[in-house]
Amino acid sequence: MHDIYFSFAEKIVLGLGIILCLASFIYEVMRRLLIVFKGLGKLPFDRTGARLWRMFREVFLHEKVVKGRFWPGLMHAFVFWGFVIFGLVTLEHFAKGFGVTLLSLKTHKVYTMIVTPFSILVIIGILALAYRRFVTKPKALGKLSPTSGLVAFFIVVLMVTYLIGEREIPVFLWKINWWIHSVIILGFLFLIPRSKHLHLVLAPINIFFRPFDQPDHSTVNIDLEASEEELDDMLAGLTKMTKNQALDIFSCVECGRCVDVCPANRGGGILDPKHHFILDLRQPLLDTKDVDVLSQINVEAGWECTTCQACTEVCPVGNHVEKSDEIRRLEVLVEGKVPQEYQKLFTNLQETGNTEGATTSPLADRLPKFSSDKEYVLWLGCFARYELDPEFTKSVENFTKILDVANISYGILEQEHCSGDPVNRLGDKLTYSMLRKHNMEQLSEAKKVVTLCPHCALNLEKEYRKYDTVSYTVEHHTQVIEKLIIDGRIQVNQTAAGKITYHDPCNLSRMLDEVDAPRTAINAASDNFIELPESGKNTLCCGAGGGLWWKKETTGRTHLVRAEQVVESEADTVVTGCNFCYGMMNQGLKPLTPEGRNEIQVKDLADLVAENISQ
Amino acid sequence: MKIAVLVKQVPGSESPLPLVSSQDWLDESQVAYIMNESDNYGLEEALQIREKNNDGEVVVVSLGPDRTQKVIREALAKGADRAIHIQTNENYPTDPLAAASLFADALKGEDFDIIFSGLQSDDLGYGQTGVILGELLGMSTATLAMATEILDNKIKVKRELEAGYFQWVTMSLPASISVQSGCNTPRYPSLKGIMGAKKKELNVVTPSVGDQNQSIKKIYAPNTAKETVMIKGSVDQVVEKLVTIFRNEIKIT
Ligand code: SF4
Ligand code: SF4
Repeated sequence: MHDIYFSFAEKIVLGLGIILCLASFIYEVMRRLLIVFKGLGKLPFDRTGARLWRMFREVFLHEKVVKGRFWPGLMHAFVFWGFVIFGLVTLEHFAKGFGVTLLSLKTHKVYTMIVTPFSILVIIGILALAYRRFVTKPKALGKLSPTSGLVAFFIVVLMVTYLIGEREIPVFLWKINWWIHSVIILGFLFLIPRSKHLHLVLAPINIFFRPFDQPDHSTVNIDLEASEEELDDMLAGLTKMTKNQALDIFSCVECGRCVDVCPANRGGGILDPKHHFILDLRQPLLDTKDVDVLSQINVEAGWECTTCQACTEVCPVGNHVEKSDEIRRLEVLVEGKVPQEYQKLFTNLQETGNTEGATTSPLADRLPKFSSDKEYVLWLGCFARYELDPEFTKSVENFTKILDVANISYGILEQEHCSGDPVNRLGDKLTYSMLRKHNMEQLSEAKKVVTLCPHCALNLEKEYRKYDTVSYTVEHHTQVIEKLIIDGRIQVNQTAAGKITYHDPCNLSRMLDEVDAPRTAINAASDNFIELPESGKNTLCCGAGGGLWWKKETTGRTHLVRAEQVVESEADTVVTGCNFCYGMMNQGLKPLTPEGRNEIQVKDLADLVAENISQ
Repeated sequence: MKIAVLVKQVPGSESPLPLVSSQDWLDESQVAYIMNESDNYGLEEALQIREKNNDGEVVVVSLGPDRTQKVIREALAKGADRAIHIQTNENYPTDPLAAASLFADALKGEDFDIIFSGLQSDDLGYGQTGVILGELLGMSTATLAMATEILDNKIKVKRELEAGYFQWVTMSLPASISVQSGCNTPRYPSLKGIMGAKKKELNVVTPSVGDQNQSIKKIYAPNTAKETVMIKGSVDQVVEKLVTIFRNEIKIT
């Protein structure tokens, strides 16, 4: 088939077609990128090596796509790999139209041998995906999309026409086949930027620029001495997206993975991160040709979010999905609209520095006080200090027992205030800055800080660093315990009874990146450890994050979904590494445990280790 | 529409309440003060009326020593236009008539259309200041307001009565109305409000406090005692007794 002759007229038609479709493609892509460039901040180029490596894994190897949903993910990988291989085929295809031969006959033959099996895989992949979308219809995919149907059809035709084109058939048939193939490719160019299929172009770029830390929200610096204009400028900035955020919006492939994992949504809330945090903002961006759209986020949905970052973790195109911070800070700082229970919380924090408005803490009175000769500041956090769950006091004491056995010196700060996590997450950045400044002073002599609360750890370690220079390091107590076991400073025996499971706290696993330490410690104390269905970085939130612990009326059952999984796991004991998770499990498990079954024990990791330690 | 809102600074519900050695007052140096809860609702009611009419002025008025300015600032941050602080020394009047007279002196030249106050203060709880003030200034008065509605030159007030009953009364303006907690959804001060509050007018007046008609002799915490009662008899008898107790003593309706 190498000596096909294309007339001059055919070449003109082809040339015009290519120019038109390419122009429309570039126009549509640029239209979106120009909006992205209006965003605040810069697109990050730091740690380029790590970014490229991540791109290789997530784009080329399709790691997240496959991990999140194995079969559909694999089918998608077939289509993707096929597309990559087809790059050269397409170039050769069009070159032929202009009478240019790109590959020698021999190379062409070899290449065809590679491409042919891939074209079959693409057909299998796309038919399977179409079956899923139009027959199985999983809820997460949302409304049926005719464009997706068209694209699936296009892809099948592309593959079939390719296969036909490699056969010995009469010239006129070959030519018709060639033109069909060409028109479909050009049709693709037209369709891609106008649909979610733009992810073909933007997802790799978006994955490259994705922030390494989550949650990643811009800081809010409040200067109470600022002039009115400065204040207005600052407040006006709060409704604007960053470049990264705007790029997210155009990269979304509408797969609904974020909805599938969202605890608020699963608990019966209205929050739908795909729409509320991403797609609702797409049209406003295009309509206004600007990034001043954050105030369009659904407020009610924003207050439901537990800020657990499951959505961000799972998103295959690299979106930082969660945007409750953005809408809450607008509600609090600009509108002054704050749910009543949170107003009380904020006032307590302003007046007393703790969430409960308490003035005394019996636990803090009993514990040794920090002085500069001690190794660790033991940071309690309001939950432990003011006994939000009185049983957790025991866990704190178990941890101090472990430190005593290992002969490690520690002390608490008498003037410790709330780390500010609830106000940081609930948008009250003013109260947050008050608490942060107070604590930074208190921590001036600290070199090492250890805490049982991952929320405090995250704030002291990562969030404070966004505002100040921090000279101490922060460890979570599970990390300290792991180190003590590995270094042989404590001896833990495998004597824990019954089946033990572990609930990963969101702040520890996803935000502080720690999933191994607690497992090492549990395995040291038990030979009967089982994983929950959603574990590690893909854990499911207990329902207390994002300040929701203080929300009185929970309409949904966010807080029960995880407890149910624990009950179903048939474990005798659930271990966790966060005081809030501990409290939620304690409240949630009892009413859910079926009659006749033993009560499921809730333990902090410190409890499990202290119970099985050699003195 | 010119509206005054009386706000009082009271000890917070979680605050420690140590007494001075003479046992006739709190040791204020150790008390955490906040805005009286129902006053917050009065303020919100005033702000909503101003916003609905797109016109008018909300003036916050507070009586007490220097520390009181904290709640005044809070009210200004939430949106009140200006403030009057009736400044006293540490011995401010605890007698509602004396307090209302001081308010009357400070407000009489201003011709307010409405004065909102909280139903009662969370510390002394007399629930009289707003009504007496209305009388002193010759205004209509209503207590226990759950909702209000302005009709030209009149105000319609929904009052909470006993046992779940409500009453609508229509009164001529000017009126002094004390509002019930929960009648609206109070706002939180926005950042702009907080910063802007510093620049708003705060007028301090320092009248001499006249005689009081009543004074506090002694403050003490009530003795609490638990009482356990055994109810004996057949199931029916026990149920009957329980129902009587629920109805008459615990008052479940
Ligand atoms: S952060 Fe968690 S709760 Fe919030 S939208 Fe994402 S998945 Fe849902
Ligand atoms: S934000 Fe990410 S996970 Fe959610 S629908 Fe879009 S692409 Fe899928």
